Amino acid sequence: MRSRDIISSLFWAVMGIGICWGGYELELGNLHDPGGGFMFFWVGVIMVGLSCGILARAIRQTATAGEMKAVWAGISWKKIVSVLAVLFIYAYLLTPLGFIPATILLLIFLFKAVEPQRWSWAILGAVVSTLAAYGVFRLWLQCQLPPGLLGS
Amino acid sequence: MDLLNYLGIGFSVALRPENLLYCFVGVFIGTLIGVLPGIGPVGAMSLLLPSTFKATPEAAIIMLAGIYYGAMYGGSTTSILVNIPGEAASVVTCLDGYKMARQGRAGPALGIAAFGSFIAGTISVLGLMLLAPPLARFALEFGPPEYFTLMMLGLTILIYLAHGSMPKALIMAAFGIVLGLIGLDTMTARPRFTFGRMELLDGVGLVPIVMGIFGVSEVLLNIEQVVRRDVLKTTIKGLLPTARDWKDSTGPIARGSLLGFLLGVLPGGGAVISSFLSYALEKKLSKHPERFGKGAVEGVAGPEAANNAATGGAFIPLMTLGIPPNVIMAMLLGAFMIHGVTPGPLMMKQNPHLFWGVIVSMYIGNFMLLILNLPLIGIWVQILKVPYKILFPLILLFCLIGVYSVNNSVFDIYVMLIFGIVGYLMKKFDYEGAPLVLAFVLGPMMENNLRKSLITSQGDFSIFFTRPLAAVSLVIAVILLISPLIPWLRKKREEIPKEEAS
Repeated sequence: MRSRDIISSLFWAVMGIGICWGGYELELGNLHDPGGGFMFFWVGVIMVGLSCGILARAIRQTATAGEMKAVWAGISWKKIVSVLAVLFIYAYLLTPLGFIPATILLLIFLFKAVEPQRWSWAILGAVVSTLAAYGVFRLWLQCQLPPGLLGS
Repeated sequence: MDLLNYLGIGFSVALRPENLLYCFVGVFIGTLIGVLPGIGPVGAMSLLLPSTFKATPEAAIIMLAGIYYGAMYGGSTTSILVNIPGEAASVVTCLDGYKMARQGRAGPALGIAAFGSFIAGTISVLGLMLLAPPLARFALEFGPPEYFTLMMLGLTILIYLAHGSMPKALIMAAFGIVLGLIGLDTMTARPRFTFGRMELLDGVGLVPIVMGIFGVSEVLLNIEQVVRRDVLKTTIKGLLPTARDWKDSTGPIARGSLLGFLLGVLPGGGAVISSFLSYALEKKLSKHPERFGKGAVEGVAGPEAANNAATGGAFIPLMTLGIPPNVIMAMLLGAFMIHGVTPGPLMMKQNPHLFWGVIVSMYIGNFMLLILNLPLIGIWVQILKVPYKILFPLILLFCLIGVYSVNNSVFDIYVMLIFGIVGYLMKKFDYEGAPLVLAFVLGPMMENNLRKSLITSQGDFSIFFTRPLAAVSLVIAVILLISPLIPWLRKKREEIPKEEAS
């Protein structure tokens, strides 16, 4: 807990200072007429105060060897990073490629990402799921989805 | 007489074919997500919010409400058959429900869970119907100081009940307030923390944040390690509980309903706490407490009744005061706003069709759930067997479509993914998402009411202490906030069962 709390409290302290600064820049106003930065500033102050409290408590605790390692132990980083990367790429390509091609590619990857499956199954699953989602959301519920390469 | 008239209005709305369809879709999806671990009602509601844009406000709220109380029904199925609760509120059902299933009594366990839920759901709707109108009339006298302090109290109770460290929950709430305030200042129309991005002028969307924290991060957590779900290989027969089961369960269902409804009105994890308290209460009242944990039907009936009754209670603060008591209701508040309806004391007068239509639809929804959860239980058992490697790409796909279609904006997808990472790290560092989301929704309202209060009082903070309700709310909030510093209060807090992130 100790290392995690030290890291996270430092992060929130910096964030709190940034929010205070942003609030101050926005104009604090006065108690008769609080300005747009009033709430930001004071919420930022509270964040800094709480972070300092967590930090102080964490520093007082005795360090446990390998604590950070235990939190991340056994995690398949490759899966998480690759899934996230592909989702960001999907967001980037969604408008130019269009919903159907981009989603089929995404789903093929996702179906193969965690536990490898046969290509035929992944492709079929991706195509069927994409077309079903398109049918429900675009054709039935009339949600706007980017047409991209396929035009309208 | 008025009540009968209003009920008539409610039935005329709820029985429209379109609304019946939306109600069915809501309770069906609610049961589905209750059955499937990995996505909770908050994620499902945000996911389906865009699909309600073309619908009337009545249909939209009827469906979203259906997801909420439907999830409570579905949550019991996984608890009984897999020993994994679909919802945090069904954790306690595992204790005796799974034991009953192992003894070959899965049918009566599922049956009593469904009947108990139905009875409790109906009782809580009746309570909502009777309690909401007088409370709404009372709330008409509230001014900005009352609203500010009530929201502060609501948020504080949620923080108090949050899982783990209270300072961490407070930081989450503070961060949520900041996120909620991003965008144009409602009083001066000046952009705040928009970093020059046009997309942020309207603020950060609720849906991308909720989907990120409760949808994407859950998927990331689930794919990092393989979770095994072994469905108990048992034949589900005799869903109707025996006369003995009914005799043992009548008291627990009645007590669970009352307890759940009353606790549901309070902010925080009403459904979770009430299910645990109901279990403890039944064990205490039982002549054979040693049977608990070994397949006692009372251990299923009471908690299941309590968690369902809590859902009805949770509607009261939202519909009468406009203050959401938990994250799910915060989501529902967002839905109300999107459809141009402001919940609060005037809603009953200004939108009687919506108010009473939603209430009556909950009666109907409870009937639908009974059918969905008893004769059709086999479908849910089959769904339980769908492997996660197939499920998670579909959950992500629905998150992506759901987020995009709110504003047709790729920017929202980026926001969701960023909050997915934030949510994942939050869980790794023991920070909880619920206070962030509730504060995100309440933040702008709190700021507005704080500024109005200070302008009215010309900067005099005593306005919060001279008005009785505001003063009481503030005092309770302060006591709860300083509770970690007082040993016996800290101990009490640690004993309360906590709502996990989803």
